[in-house]
Amino acid sequence: MNADILHLDNVTMQFGGVVAVNNLTLDVKEHEIVALIGPNGAGKTTAFNAITGVYEPTNGEISFCGKTVVRNHPQGKMKKLYAGLNADKYSGEVLKPTPDMLTKLGMARTFQNIRLWKSQTVFDNVLIAKHMLRTSNVFSATFRLNRQEEKQHREEVSELLKTVGLDDVKDDLATGLPYGKQRRLEIARALATKPKLLLLDEPAAGMNPQETNELTDFIGEIRDRFSLTVLLIEHHMNLVMDISDRIYVLDFGKLIAQGNPNEIQHNEKVIDAYLGVEKNA
Amino acid sequence: MKLANKTMNIFFIAGLYLTVFLLDIVPGVPPMLLTVLKKGVIFSLVAVSMNLLNGFTGLFSLGQAGFMLMGAYSYAVINISSSLKPVVYQYYSPFFNFSLTEVLGNALGGFGVVLGVTVSMIIAGLVAAFMAFLIGLPVLKLKSDYLAIATLGFAEIVRALIQLEALAPVTNGSQLLRGFPYFRGIFIPFIIVGICIAVIVLLINSTYGRAFKAIRDDEIAAEAMGINLASHKRLAFVISSFFAGVSGALLAMYQTTVQANTFKSAMTYEILLIVVIGGIGSVSGSCIGSFLFIACSEWWLRFLDNSNNNIFGLNILRSGFRMVVFSFVIMIMVLFFRKGIMGEREISSENIVKSVKSLICRIKKGRCNER
Repeated sequence: MNADILHLDNVTMQFGGVVAVNNLTLDVKEHEIVALIGPNGAGKTTAFNAITGVYEPTNGEISFCGKTVVRNHPQGKMKKLYAGLNADKYSGEVLKPTPDMLTKLGMARTFQNIRLWKSQTVFDNVLIAKHMLRTSNVFSATFRLNRQEEKQHREEVSELLKTVGLDDVKDDLATGLPYGKQRRLEIARALATKPKLLLLDEPAAGMNPQETNELTDFIGEIRDRFSLTVLLIEHHMNLVMDISDRIYVLDFGKLIAQGNPNEIQHNEKVIDAYLGVEKNA
Repeated sequence: MKLANKTMNIFFIAGLYLTVFLLDIVPGVPPMLLTVLKKGVIFSLVAVSMNLLNGFTGLFSLGQAGFMLMGAYSYAVINISSSLKPVVYQYYSPFFNFSLTEVLGNALGGFGVVLGVTVSMIIAGLVAAFMAFLIGLPVLKLKSDYLAIATLGFAEIVRALIQLEALAPVTNGSQLLRGFPYFRGIFIPFIIVGICIAVIVLLINSTYGRAFKAIRDDEIAAEAMGINLASHKRLAFVISSFFAGVSGALLAMYQTTVQANTFKSAMTYEILLIVVIGGIGSVSGSCIGSFLFIACSEWWLRFLDNSNNNIFGLNILRSGFRMVVFSFVIMIMVLFFRKGIMGEREISSENIVKSVKSLICRIKKGRCNER
């Protein structure tokens, strides 16, 4: 069995009185494709934002690649420095991550509503993601002492664009691309940061069946090529059932089921809350 | 092809510089033109530095006059010649008893003077940059309008502090400072500004510049792609202020005197106007904008201030009327030409050739299909 790359332990995300994610425990193993599904407003994107460091969870612990990234006491944010019962569980080093730190650790994401850099070309969009991997400082970059690195980055970007099939449009503006290609570009941009874990937030939203099929193949392909682990949120059940190794189902912030696609399809709770029943008689 | 474009651009800029320098040598050039060139080039540096912040990083900051003031004062204070110190600081005993340029000039001759001026320019920039670093720690957490308000407030506070009685041994209170080295021709400002803008352009085209643009376009995506927002914003703020400080020192040299009252918030608005007219996000636009603005305010629109002139027989002109005209220009710009002269484009030899070609095409055929 592969090791855990991402582990969420009792993560709760509360906004005032609203509990968006309630005691979510989830783990993603290396080289897996895991899907997070559920009806609208179930807290999937909130869970994503908690994982990527946009929000700090109210409680719970998140660890990534064996490092504890966030840890809040079960009683909430204010008792972070808890030293009573189970004190040893709450000691040890904790990164307090901002999204950029997590990306540096090897976690890259895409967004539900595409967030490309609008005034930049396709090539530059991917090249900017390489900024994170720089070794140059601002002086060496300004006075072009980093030519070697720059050249290497540019080559890597061209190669990446070839792999994802955006080579022919690399000098176009990112916003000028058709929708499916914008999605692809967003994934390419995430791949440019050389991630270990790729988080895809509704990659197939707004796509027609053919594009969805292409995307399904594409995700499997990049998983193998870049030896990635993928965690994705999706509403297209065909895509989810096709590529996922395991599925977690959220409803009203709570985890209601987990398992492989076959189990999920026949789970009554899931059918009730989300999938629905085909009327046969 | 790319290299050819680069060399063409270098030739283009060299040509511009040559023309400007010829203007200085050739007799019979109207002195007003030289004044406009001198002041315009100084303002183009500060406009470009503001553009780096407002146009390329997306931080709407209005502290530019404050940083210019820091630069101007630091340049002046460390360079007032020792023979003039008692005259300048007539009510106070000066805190700095040396003049950097003089010391270096005595030790190394002509080269020492050049070195002294260069070093004190850099010091002027560094003082402004250091201030920016300190201000930036709290202020850069603010967004859009709030950042503008905070930085504007900072500029006003600095102006008031400089005139403080307790600081008078250094800053000479609200009296003016003079007696520091300055320039007469237009070589020095053009060379210094040229170098500074070249550095800014190099920065903008480097990986850091691309990261700045990413922050401007979408902060959340930039952060998710591993760009540290806090450090990059601070970096842009500090670099922009460094060059604002340098241009402040240049302005001090141009005016030959420094007084805190010159650097009012109205000056920031003038710089902002230049940036907007030139095009937010265009370096060459800022340069064109600044020459246009300075030419208008110092030269072409001067007749509006003269109450002896009249328009259509109406005697409405009086001093300050050109500011009214400027206000109208701003309104028209904001309503109809939001992108300014250049938008986000840049002037380059390639673009000029393209536009000339398409113009010829249009004249010949009335329509041109070339893409």
